[in-house]
Amino acid sequence: MGETGDDAVQHVRDAVITGLRGGGTGLAAIESVCRACVDLLPVDGASVSVMTGVASRESLYASDLTASRIEALQFSLGEGPCFQAFDTQRPVFTPDVRATGAAAWPVFAAEIVTEPVGAVFAFPLVSGAISIGALDMYRRAPGWLSRDQVAVALRVVDIATLVLLGLRLGEVQGAWTDLPLSHAQVHQATGMLIAEFAIPAEQALARLRGYAFAIGRLVDDVADDLVSRRLAPVALGPP
Amino acid sequence: METSESARESQLLTAFVRMADTLVDDYDIVELVHQLVAYCVSLLNADAAGLVLSDQRGGLQVLASSTEETRLLELFQVQTNQGPCLDCVTTGEPVFAPDLAAETARWPRFVPRALDQGFASVHAIPLRLRRETIGALNLFGARPGRLRAQDTDLARALADTATIGIMQERAIHRGEVLTEQLQNALNNRVTIEQAKGVLAHAGQVDMDAAFQALRVYGRGNNARLSDVARQIVTRALDPRVILGAGKQPMS
Repeated sequence: MGETGDDAVQHVRDAVITGLRGGGTGLAAIESVCRACVDLLPVDGASVSVMTGVASRESLYASDLTASRIEALQFSLGEGPCFQAFDTQRPVFTPDVRATGAAAWPVFAAEIVTEPVGAVFAFPLVSGAISIGALDMYRRAPGWLSRDQVAVALRVVDIATLVLLGLRLGEVQGAWTDLPLSHAQVHQATGMLIAEFAIPAEQALARLRGYAFAIGRLVDDVADDLVSRRLAPVALGPP
Repeated sequence: METSESARESQLLTAFVRMADTLVDDYDIVELVHQLVAYCVSLLNADAAGLVLSDQRGGLQVLASSTEETRLLELFQVQTNQGPCLDCVTTGEPVFAPDLAAETARWPRFVPRALDQGFASVHAIPLRLRRETIGALNLFGARPGRLRAQDTDLARALADTATIGIMQERAIHRGEVLTEQLQNALNNRVTIEQAKGVLAHAGQVDMDAAFQALRVYGRGNNARLSDVARQIVTRALDPRVILGAGKQPMS
């Protein structure tokens, strides 16, 4: 990966976390994530939507009118790249919507021709079995993302996932930790909390983060304690 | 003890026939790769083995390891920043460290931890797809020692099988590219970690036993590992059903 892209993404991440810690809203954070897509990648707009299923979805933010049209169209038709990304839990790259979109989403492709959209890249916002939504990017001209650009996109998507997962923390103001979602123990500890409290995975993860924040420790360290059974999951229950 | 050549050939044949059978079926990538690292242990006389994938963000993630114990997983985790796997993925070339104790200067953070876990040699074989390196196969030995030339060839063949498995997991759809496959494989691994946590706590078993129970259930019910894991995490499937299928008390 190019150093420039690396630094820039780190900068976005830092800015988002600083904003949230300073009392900024999750929505403002999502807005800056979408702006970062446009700044760092050869795309013209980005949007984020929260989904819990095809029936339950909400557009959180769209960076411009076209991005918002792409979302609205998919939501009203019930098909399109962002639904596919969410359903399959895989990124969906459509470098030339006009040429290839019809095969996958005939109605969406037919409608989108009136919009200035050449390419759509849709990313699921997931962490294991936790699926919270999707991030869509569009570009006026058709074309692929390069390997370095994909790396930047994936890291920006990680930030969006982090922010959306954090929204579930709700009232725990300032409970924004630099969550290391790549560590196996965090996922294992999440599973242990699911078993202990019979709660959905995202709540279990939120509880882990909230607890770590409340006692001033790193999420990683609390997860380690749970997995090595130095800490009983029941300790993370409501007081 | 040295296995005789003909016994070894027959083991090899069985391994590749099984993997080929898997590849034409509707298989689960984590399960396939797990099978593959088990072969690394049995066929290459490794004491532990694992497979890491590039996360396409400049880091590495574990897809499978021969034991699911946290201490081994941590050895892969530390290699996200430094170690033979990272060097292997960065250069696209195999990395051999027959005597780890002599490599402290090369990997000051990785070597002490690996020695600490009782390993004395490490080898990393790249998973290559045309000009890209998508990951590495990591072999650990409890004693210092080189990989014999024929074992290196075999390790490469196993690495290639993993690459094919990762790329072919789903029928190649329109626009389906490397990123989609890799990201999905890695996310499935996360789901499996979450499911291991559910099972470990529900059944008071260790992480390795939890994983084994998951596999036993998947095989017995002809279900994909990551599908079973997802059902466990979303509470669509009762952990007791799985634990009953392959219960091993915590040691």
